[in-house]
Amino acid sequence: MSGVEETLNESVDVKEDKEFDVEADEHAGEDYFVDPTRYLFYRDRKEWADLEPVPQDDGPNPVVKIAYSEKFADVYDYFRALLKNDERSERAFALTADAIELNAANYTVWHYRRVLLQALSKDLREEMRYITAIIEEQPKNYQVWHHRRMVVEWLNDASEELEFIADILSQDAKNYHAWQHRQWVIQEYKLWDNELEFVESLLEDDVRNNSAWNQRHFVISHTTGFADAAIVEREIQYCLNQIRKAPHNESAWNYLKGMLQDRGLSSQPGLLERVLELKQTHCSPYLLAFLFDCYEDALENSNQKENAAEEEQKENLKRALEICELLAHEKDTIRKEYWLFLGRSLKNKFGSSGPSDEPPLEPSAPAPQPQEMS
Amino acid sequence: MAEEESQFEEFEQIDFLRDRHVRFFQRTLQVLPERYASLETTRLTIIFFALSGLDVLDALDVIDRNLMIEWIYSLQVLPTEDQSNLSRCGFRGSSHIGVPYSTQGPGVLHPYDSGHVAMTYTGLCSLLILGDDLSRVNKQACLAGLRALQLEDGSFYAVPEGSENDIRFIYCAASICYMLDDWSGMDIQKAIEYIRGSLSYDNGFGQGAGRESHGGWTYCAIASLCLMGRLEEALSQRELDRIRRWCIMRQQNGFHGRPNKPVDTCYSFWVGATLELLEVFQYTNFDKNRSFILSTQDRLVGGFAKWPDSHPDPLHAYLGLCGLSLIGEPNLRKVHAALNITQRAFQHLQQLQQTWRDSTGSCSRQH
Repeated sequence: MSGVEETLNESVDVKEDKEFDVEADEHAGEDYFVDPTRYLFYRDRKEWADLEPVPQDDGPNPVVKIAYSEKFADVYDYFRALLKNDERSERAFALTADAIELNAANYTVWHYRRVLLQALSKDLREEMRYITAIIEEQPKNYQVWHHRRMVVEWLNDASEELEFIADILSQDAKNYHAWQHRQWVIQEYKLWDNELEFVESLLEDDVRNNSAWNQRHFVISHTTGFADAAIVEREIQYCLNQIRKAPHNESAWNYLKGMLQDRGLSSQPGLLERVLELKQTHCSPYLLAFLFDCYEDALENSNQKENAAEEEQKENLKRALEICELLAHEKDTIRKEYWLFLGRSLKNKFGSSGPSDEPPLEPSAPAPQPQEMS
Repeated sequence: MAEEESQFEEFEQIDFLRDRHVRFFQRTLQVLPERYASLETTRLTIIFFALSGLDVLDALDVIDRNLMIEWIYSLQVLPTEDQSNLSRCGFRGSSHIGVPYSTQGPGVLHPYDSGHVAMTYTGLCSLLILGDDLSRVNKQACLAGLRALQLEDGSFYAVPEGSENDIRFIYCAASICYMLDDWSGMDIQKAIEYIRGSLSYDNGFGQGAGRESHGGWTYCAIASLCLMGRLEEALSQRELDRIRRWCIMRQQNGFHGRPNKPVDTCYSFWVGATLELLEVFQYTNFDKNRSFILSTQDRLVGGFAKWPDSHPDPLHAYLGLCGLSLIGEPNLRKVHAALNITQRAFQHLQQLQQTWRDSTGSCSRQH
């Protein structure tokens, strides 16, 4: 969201365009001549004389009124006039560029420009160059990305997209618009081939880039899928390697858990042991939470097996509760109440010691210790 | 964390400066300099932030309600005489198209005039906050305009001319239907499918299928399902528990919107309200959340910014207040977590809806 910056107590500063300041013209004493590079208001342009400008009408009591300069209002007064007549012309097309420069977030201008692009059969390759430049300047604007998508669709040509998006991501590797556009391009035009490689290079740059982890999941789920045991093992290996490099990385743990949670964390042979090993040297709240989830999953699934070893169940519950205590009191204290709540819920569900004197396990029950407001 | 400031400074820094915020919103409602030009088409959302912010502060008495109500109604896109523009009805974000100011129908035919789903949503909220009875809203036209925006996959465009489509506009649509007490404005089942499709492997919601999970879109997903009354139908208990985990992991001191991103005041509401709707907000750390939000308070001009030592803006000012309201900050009105208006405004809505039902004798879809 563009920032409403600085104090609003400032008086409105209406700056005239410097080029239009005739007094500053050093040739004022000579014969008057028209400098074609000087900015002229639309209202003073001969070729626009036929059009009646349409001012904005906020009525007698405008609210959140933006105080536009004369130049700004002039461009948009003529924009409104064009819109009213639905004029389809070169001059209209040229004006949209001025309007966009003043406010690239005006979706009506972009829509009108697209109408003109088609009505006038404009060169779409040139439009690609135009929108590329605009996005480079304003990469967090919704309208510019939507416009680019439309032009790519009309051209039915996505050949520049991956490189362009990579360039935008090199400036901000987590730009949500860029990633969204990238996913659309890849899915629509089947450009999967090199994407895993691209993801890995980004994770090399920053192993904590959550967008890149998400893209990894996106690519694999749409190509090889996660059903193949070899793929799963490869991905587990990848995750654990990244965790060894940077243990305190929620993204890697989320990926690991996300990949395995539906088939059951406790069903992956040897995983628990590997994580327990990591716990000694590369511990983190995320590792501990993962362990908790493994134990909980074991408890859930054991419940369904008739010959579940009761001893094993008790052990799993004990370990899970120990982890809750560790997280609550030492390793993830900001979520203390949450971990204690999870511990209570688990005990109520799987504890064999009979009716508990703990508070009921509905989430809406108040936490035992009320929050203290400072 | 060891603080080296004096005790007095520390007290100052956590002091909530109510009057500054009131003045911040008052100024927002007046005139903004040209550098805010990019807000032109969304001015109605800015009004909403300011009005709802003043409502949370219990300071609506500083504005002239009737003038505001008139201006908002001037933004309604009404049906023309021949009703040929029904699929374009709703509310505009501002007067930027150049339609002459008018607060009553019939609508004027204009080749490019149409409503915007987020403006219809914030327009209705703003009218409710101001105590209006919505009697001048053409409800059937709004709902027709809404239906025209929904795609096959269940998501919504913002405008009938086309735009990006995603979960934000599902939330706007659900809010509109909820307020108008009429779900004929959308295909709920399809919307639920899109929402479910947006659930990421890491148990947050992205803007659409495959996309990175994010606190704002997670709010849109959960709040929409709550407004529809379909939360437990759409998501299993196991899924809900996993979503709770994703959300509660967003707290660092304040909240961030995605793993490994910096915290930002607005997520104290987006994620906080989601946790509230999922009934686990009480398990968050109120103290650290409060400290962070107040660290982004602008002590000079009022309002809140996304980060400490940054410029405040209406969105962060409003959502910062809502974040504080969720943790029970004294002298702030309670906020309805799904509809994002005060409980007071919500009660006004409930009373209105009761009179609508009474006057038709049943749960009817007629105005």
